[in-house]
Amino acid sequence: MQSPNTIQTKPNGPVAAVFLAAGIGSLVMGILVVLNEVSTEISSFLKFDANFGLGSGVGPLSGKAILAVLAFFASWLILGLLFRGREVKFGPILTIALVLVAGGFLLTFPPVFGIFAPA
Amino acid sequence: MQLSDRELWTLIHGMGLGALFLLAFGGGVAGLWSLRSKLLTEEGLAERTPRLLIGTTVMAVVSWLTVIVGTWVVYPWYRATPPEGLDLTVQGDALREFPRYWLLAGEKTEEWHKFGMEWKEHVAFLAPFLATAVAVGVLYYGAQLAHRGEIRRALLIFFTLAFAAAGVAGLFGALITKAAPVA
Repeated sequence: MQSPNTIQTKPNGPVAAVFLAAGIGSLVMGILVVLNEVSTEISSFLKFDANFGLGSGVGPLSGKAILAVLAFFASWLILGLLFRGREVKFGPILTIALVLVAGGFLLTFPPVFGIFAPA
Repeated sequence: MQLSDRELWTLIHGMGLGALFLLAFGGGVAGLWSLRSKLLTEEGLAERTPRLLIGTTVMAVVSWLTVIVGTWVVYPWYRATPPEGLDLTVQGDALREFPRYWLLAGEKTEEWHKFGMEWKEHVAFLAPFLATAVAVGVLYYGAQLAHRGEIRRALLIFFTLAFAAAGVAGLFGALITKAAPVA
């Protein structure tokens, strides 16, 4: 019987790519939440329901959600191509992904993004 | 006894999709935690892996459906704008049909929107990103996860974070619906 260390497994690149993409999607959501507070112009732009007919009555959340989802899938595609068939150092990748996710959690927390709202 | 369209969609969003995601979490964690070569025979791995794959895939799909239904079906009813002339400073019966404005009209209820809904509507979107990463990891490695401890542990962390995001959204969704239902 093979020991766990000698068993051949698939390269981890594709999984590293989706982990980083999840972090990027999370952080983009957080950044958009802050930008929506900072600028009325950006807030108006983020109303994808009114501006682009993507839903009705959703308001700026439509733009924040759609752009964050696009960031997730686009970064997954790009990183997936970059990491395809490669074995990468997973520890640092996971750390970066967790920092990005933590940023997403932090910036979507009302007392934090409220700091950026005009007085 | 009947449900309005709004009640039905709120039920699908919260008690159907959202609750399914949260309830399935325990099974998923147990499955990932125990998927270790030293704990399982090859037959055991072969038996458990498809169940874990189906479970994590369903959770990822359900998390996407939950945020899509929540954002594009239920949320517009919550933030609907009252007609001109309606007093937005008094929590009257007429304002009840506009939950966001009804909550903001009361000192004791405004934080349900300013803190609860503002957090819920944004943090909920982290759940499908994280749950998709977990499902892809399980789909890609399958039974090989038993031999990739670092990946399995990372999946557990992401799975737990997805649960935390969905849990915050679900908790505030239930509490806000109790304070000011969209129905």
